[in-house]
Amino acid sequence: MIFSKSAKNRLKIFSLLLVVASIIFFFIYNNLQKNVVYFYAPQEIKNLKNTPTNKIRLGGLVKENSLKKNNNTYVFIITDLKSEIFVEYNGLLPNLFVEGKSAVVEGVLKDKRYFIASTILAKHDENYMPPEVANSLKKNKSNK
Amino acid sequence: MAGYIGNLTLFLSLIFNGFLIFSLIKGIKNNNFKELKTISFFNDSIFFLLLISFLILIYCFIVSDFSNVAVYQNSHTAKPLIYKISGAWGNHEGSMVLFILILSLFSFVFFRTKVIEKLKFYTVFFQAILILIFLIFLILTSNPFDQIVPKPLQGLGLNPILQDPLLAIHPPFLYFGYVGFSLVFSFALAGLVTNNFDKLWSKVANFWIILPWSLLTIGIGLGSFWAYYELGWGGYWFWDPVENASLMPWLAATALVHSNIVTFKKDKLHSWTALLSIFTFIMSLLGTFLVRSGVLNSVHAFANDPYRGVYILSSILLITFFSLAIFIVKSPKKFLYEKYYFFQRDNFILINNCFLIFFLSVVLVGTVYPIILDAISGKSISVGPIYYHTILAPFLFIFLFFMSHGPLLSWNKEDKFLQIKNFKIFFPISIVISSVIIFWFFNYKDIILILGLFFSVYLIISVLFDWFLQKKLTIHFGRLISHLGFGVLIFAIFVNAYLSKEINAAMKVGDEVKIQEFIIKFKSINKIKKENYEEVFGNFLVINKEKQIELTPSIRRYDQPIQFTSETSIKTNFIVDYYFAINLSEFEKEKIMVRFYYKPLMFWIWFSILLIAIGGIYQTFRLKNEQ
Repeated sequence: MIFSKSAKNRLKIFSLLLVVASIIFFFIYNNLQKNVVYFYAPQEIKNLKNTPTNKIRLGGLVKENSLKKNNNTYVFIITDLKSEIFVEYNGLLPNLFVEGKSAVVEGVLKDKRYFIASTILAKHDENYMPPEVANSLKKNKSNK
Repeated sequence: MAGYIGNLTLFLSLIFNGFLIFSLIKGIKNNNFKELKTISFFNDSIFFLLLISFLILIYCFIVSDFSNVAVYQNSHTAKPLIYKISGAWGNHEGSMVLFILILSLFSFVFFRTKVIEKLKFYTVFFQAILILIFLIFLILTSNPFDQIVPKPLQGLGLNPILQDPLLAIHPPFLYFGYVGFSLVFSFALAGLVTNNFDKLWSKVANFWIILPWSLLTIGIGLGSFWAYYELGWGGYWFWDPVENASLMPWLAATALVHSNIVTFKKDKLHSWTALLSIFTFIMSLLGTFLVRSGVLNSVHAFANDPYRGVYILSSILLITFFSLAIFIVKSPKKFLYEKYYFFQRDNFILINNCFLIFFLSVVLVGTVYPIILDAISGKSISVGPIYYHTILAPFLFIFLFFMSHGPLLSWNKEDKFLQIKNFKIFFPISIVISSVIIFWFFNYKDIILILGLFFSVYLIISVLFDWFLQKKLTIHFGRLISHLGFGVLIFAIFVNAYLSKEINAAMKVGDEVKIQEFIIKFKSINKIKKENYEEVFGNFLVINKEKQIELTPSIRRYDQPIQFTSETSIKTNFIVDYYFAINLSEFEKEKIMVRFYYKPLMFWIWFSILLIAIGGIYQTFRLKNEQ
C-alpha cells in the first residue's frame, strides 16, 4: 500500500470536494455567461462580424439635433465620433438625457445600423460620464 | 491651524503604534508582559490621538476651513450643519479616518475585557498591525489634513444625493460592521498562534462576531432604504457592486455566527470557524477596496485614484496571504471520530453554512468577474439581476427548509421521528396559507413565486411553533426573533417582486390619466426656496378603487454644485407603499415626467431587517451568561 488509511480517506474527501466545487463553479459560470450584458460602442458594432442577437448595451454621445418624436416613440442617434447608430426607444426619457451628452441604452440590435432600446440607463449626475463611453471617446479622439 | 494639530495627532498615533508593536514583539519574544502598563498606555493613546484627529476633522468641516483639501472638495458654507458634520465621513479621506478610529476603538475596548493574557496581547498585536497598514495608507495616499494655498473662498459642495439624514448615519453603521470584524479576525489569529482555539475562545468571540454582524445588518438596511426613497427608481436592491460589497461580509459573518455556536456548544468545527473569521474580515476589506478604489462603474464610486486601489489591493493580498499561512500552519488539529448523525442540529447548521458560502461565491463571482474581465480583455460587461435571481432562488428554498428544522433538532441525539412529526404539522399549514395567499392576490402563478411563498411561510410557522414550545424564552429569544425576521423578509421580498406595479406618464397641470386600476390627477404645482436649494412640488392625487392618496413629489435644484435631484413622495399604510417621483425632460418642457409605483409590503422588508438586527443585539449580551 502506498497510502495509509487516513491519507486515503483524506484523498477521498478531497476529490469529492473537488468534484462538487467544479460542478458549482461550472453552474455559476454557465449562468453568468447567459446573463451578462456586453457593452459596445458604435464603432465596435461596425467592426463585428456577426450582429449579436442577445441583449446588449450601447453607449456614446447623443448626437445634437438628432432626436425626433413620433407618437410615443423616440428616435435618436448615438455616436462615438466615428460611427453612428440609430436608436429607437419607446418610453419616457429620463432627467439627464440631453443631446450632446453621454447616454447608455440597453436593448437589441435590429441590424448594424439600428438599435431598439428597452431601457435608457441614467442613474448618474449630468457631469458624470460612464467609464466605457469615456474610454471609447478618448480612443477615437486620439485616432483622429 | 487646526489642520496642523490634526496632522500632528495622526503622525503621533503612527509613532505610538510603532512603539506598541515594538513593545508587544518584545513581550512576546520573552514571553512575559511585565510592561503591561506601557502596552496599555500606547494602546489607549493611539485611540485617543485618532479620536482627536477625527474630531478636528469634524471641526474643520463645521467651521468650513477651506484651506483643508477634503473640506474644500466636499463642503460648502451654505450647507446645513448636520451635513457639514456628516460630510466629515462622507468623503474618502474622512471615511478612512473613521475606519482606523474604529479599528483602534475595538482594540481599546477589547483590552479592557477579561481574556487570557496571552490571547489578549496577540490580538492587540494583530490589531496594531492592521492599524499600521491603514495609517500608512491614510498618510501616504489620502491625508485628510492636506492644505491648499492660497485658501479658497468657497467649497465645492457635497453631492446632493448624499445630503440626506439617513446617509449621515449609514456609513458609521456600515463601518462599525465592516471594521468590527477586524477584531474577531485578530482574535482568531491570536487563538491559532497560541493554540488557544477552543470552547473558551468561541465564548469570548461570540460577542465580537454578533455585535458587528448586527450593526452591519442595520447598515445594509439603511443603505437599502436610502436607495429606495432617494434614487427614485422604486427599487431597494439593485445588485449594484457596492451593495454586493456589503452583502458579502454579511453572508460570511452569518455563517460565522452559526459555526461559532457549534464550536461553543459541541467543541467542533474549530478550523471552519477560524477560517470563516479570517474570511469575513477579508470580505470586508474587499468591500472597502471595491468602494474606495474607484474600480466600479457605479453610482457610489466617488473616489478615483489608482494608487489608492493598488495600495489597498496589495494590502489585502498581503493580509490574506499571511493570515492563511498562519491558519495552514497552526490550524487546530483535533480529530473527532464520532459517529455521523444526519438529524442533529450541528449538521443542519453545517449544511446551511455551505449554502451561505455558495450564496457568497455567487455574489462574489457576479461582482468581481466584470472587473477582472475588463482588466484582462478590455471588454465591458454588466451582470444583471436575473443572474442573481435565477441562481440564488432555488437554493434559497432548500436553505429555508433546513433553517426551519435545524433549530428544532437536538444538539446531542438524533431524533428523526420528531422531525417527521413536525413536518406533518408545518407542511399542511404552510400549504394552506400560501395557496390562500396565491389564489387571493395573484393573477398569475409562477413556480418560483409559489415555492418562495411556501418556504417562507414554512419558516415562519416553524419559528412560531418553536416560540410557543419554549419553556425558557429568554435563552432563545435572539435566535427566534432573527429567524422570524428572516422568514418575513423573504416573504415580503417575494410578494413585493410579484405584486409591484409601475406607471409612467408625461403630464401637465390639470391632466388626468387612467392606467390599470389607478387614476392619477395632476392638481397643482408650487415652489419653495430653501437654504441650499430650490424645490418644485407637484401635487398629485392617486385614486385606487375607493382609496384616495395625495402625493407631493418634488424636484430640487441645488446651487452648490448645480444639480437636479428628484425627491420621492411615499405614503404607506404598512401594507402597501404608494410611491411617486417626478422629473423634468429637456424635450417636452411643458410636461413633467411622472413615475408612480405601487409597492406592497415595503414596510415589512424594513421591519424584518430591524428584527434580524434586534435578535443579534439581544444575543450579543446573552451567551456570556451561559456556561
